[in-house]
Amino acid sequence: MTGIETTELTKTYGDVTALDGLTLSVPEGELFGLLGPNGSGKTTTIEILTGQSEPTSGSASVLGHDPVADPLAVREVVGILPEREDPPSFLTPREYLQFVGDVRGFDAPDERIAEWADRLGFREKLDTMSADLSEGERQRVMLAQTFIHEPDLVFIDEPLVNLDPIMQAEVRDHLRDYCAAGNTLFLSTHFLEVAADLCTQIGIVREGRLVAERDPRDLEDETELLEYFRSEVDDATADGTPDAGEGTGPAAADGGSDRAGGGGNR
Amino acid sequence: MSASSNRLTPRLLVRMIREEWRLHAELFGDRFAAFPVLVTLLSGAGIWLLTLTNASMDAVAAGLHALVFFFGLQVGTIGLVGRDALRDVLGDVTLLVFSARTLPVTWRRLLAVFLLKDLLYYSVLFLGPLAVGYAAVAVLEGVAPAAVALLWVTTSGTFALGVGTSLTLAGLGTRSRGLVAVVLVGIVAAVLSGQVDVVAFSPLGFYQSPSVASAVSGFGPAVVLSVLGPVLFQPAETGPARTSPDRYSRVRDVLGDGIATRSVLEVAGSSGSVWKVLFSMGVLFLVTAVLVAEVGRVTALDPSMGIAVGTLLGLGAFTTYSWVTQFDDAAEYRRYPVSMEAVFAGKRRAYLVLSVPAGLVYLLGSLVWVPAVEVAVGVVVFPLVAVYVYGVTALITGLSPNELLFDTPRFLAFGVALGVVAVPLVVAALVHTESPTLANGVAVGVAAIAALVGVLLARRASRQWADRSLDP
Repeated sequence: MTGIETTELTKTYGDVTALDGLTLSVPEGELFGLLGPNGSGKTTTIEILTGQSEPTSGSASVLGHDPVADPLAVREVVGILPEREDPPSFLTPREYLQFVGDVRGFDAPDERIAEWADRLGFREKLDTMSADLSEGERQRVMLAQTFIHEPDLVFIDEPLVNLDPIMQAEVRDHLRDYCAAGNTLFLSTHFLEVAADLCTQIGIVREGRLVAERDPRDLEDETELLEYFRSEVDDATADGTPDAGEGTGPAAADGGSDRAGGGGNR
Repeated sequence: MSASSNRLTPRLLVRMIREEWRLHAELFGDRFAAFPVLVTLLSGAGIWLLTLTNASMDAVAAGLHALVFFFGLQVGTIGLVGRDALRDVLGDVTLLVFSARTLPVTWRRLLAVFLLKDLLYYSVLFLGPLAVGYAAVAVLEGVAPAAVALLWVTTSGTFALGVGTSLTLAGLGTRSRGLVAVVLVGIVAAVLSGQVDVVAFSPLGFYQSPSVASAVSGFGPAVVLSVLGPVLFQPAETGPARTSPDRYSRVRDVLGDGIATRSVLEVAGSSGSVWKVLFSMGVLFLVTAVLVAEVGRVTALDPSMGIAVGTLLGLGAFTTYSWVTQFDDAAEYRRYPVSMEAVFAGKRRAYLVLSVPAGLVYLLGSLVWVPAVEVAVGVVVFPLVAVYVYGVTALITGLSPNELLFDTPRFLAFGVALGVVAVPLVVAALVHTESPTLANGVAVGVAAIAALVGVLLARRASRQWADRSLDP
């Protein structure tokens, strides 16, 4: 069954075209990575697929739901981790996850919170005000809110940013296990090393269009993936688009937003 | 002091003024530039309306000074304790005043320049237009041009007094919160007991009777507090992580709603906690009580304290709306399986839970000297007006009420919407002298209709902002 399907998805902001007829298909159980330079439309794609934004034209389906006609139905069955999003400053992680439990309506939140806090290593911080957490701890809390309701499909913008190497390895293992259980993961990242290591399929988007798609495991290593990526986005780079190949790991944190023409994220 | 150090202060000042302008431009867009014009028009129109009620220009000038003092109090706090508000609206915000960690500048110098910047910036962009609006009416009323010019100077001094007071209290608070409470109680007790002539120790005293002595006593406190604030301030750059036991379940059990619970907890966890709601209601209550007493003193009227307080507290609940929507935004809720209708319903619950008990504290406290029937009417009017204010604010501003302040068209729409309800209620409060039963009936009726309209507006707001959520 298809997890995600888009057909000729287009999104314009005034004169700026963020998505230009994006068509892609992601089967269930896939760990799909969407790669592309800054401003190529990755974040816009996720916003449309999760019903946060409406396409100018085209259609989309997520686990059989139409994100335009019924955005709440999509949000009920997916998890979303936006780019550079922190838990609310004046709630503790426990309070925030209880709140998430309320709006998502899942049972036994306390047990689940404890389980996820253990898994992501922030149990001792459960009652600390989020404003006083380190960036890595905040990212762990955000990862917990993404998975705590056990969604069938998850959208993640940069999952490993700000995590220490040990936690990065644990999160990678978790993401693989998650997909091995038949779930689908839609990953947006600038970091080729993350894509090469995790993804079972990658799509390269440039100027709002899907220009290439392949299984990265066919490639020798991360360097080869970088060459492949460069060759696909070369035209855009020649036009002055920033080279997304700079920095291949999460340590080279990138503050740029991918929401083409739509301004920065919060 | 070295030459480079001497140059540092004016450079900092110029950059802070530029930063303040850009901050406002970022918050409110290009329309911010029109705001001084609006201030001139509103102040001129408001003062002209007051003259129609036979209010003397001296009374108007005194009222303007009081208003500017409270404005100064607010401005003084926003840069320091309102940092989380800025962060919420603009994302991660770093102002020059917070740059002591990275630049070789002391906190005291930064705060002193920050204060000077506030004085210059607001004196030109806000108090200047206010004085122009005043001048337009005052000259026609026979006030000497020199007195009008003096008003600009003394309101600027009053603004400095407000900012200096905020800064000093914030500075004291960084050393001991108990000390702040003691000082506040002392000031209130001294003022209420009549032991201190507040006017003489404010620039208003100089405005009313200019002399060297009144200049010293009138501007002295502003100068002293402007120095004392930066001296007392001790930035807490690092400290133990704040922890909080599990409050969510308990509050959720009471409120029965996750969004309301979250909103209340966020207000409780932010600067000033829920006490800021009580404080803001207290300021409104005091201002209303003074105004009602003043109207009674200078006219033959005996306005209804209950209707007046109920109305003003209800209108003032706008600040609570601002607090319950300060820490999240529509974009976040669009990632949850929750409708905007549920979001606005939860926000309204949090808003009422915080504002209504705070207002009732003062209304019920006024039973000491206000007849029970008047208080009872106020107790009915206040929450109904608050419901109306919620609906109006939700419809006009969504979950970003701060943008209202300098967005001229929205500000006008908001002002007109509140005026539609405030004017008949204020009239009812005034005619209470002649016909108390009629006035009480009209007040309750108007407030009830307003509340109903408020509920409908809130519903419309849910639909409107849900639709907009699908747009970029």
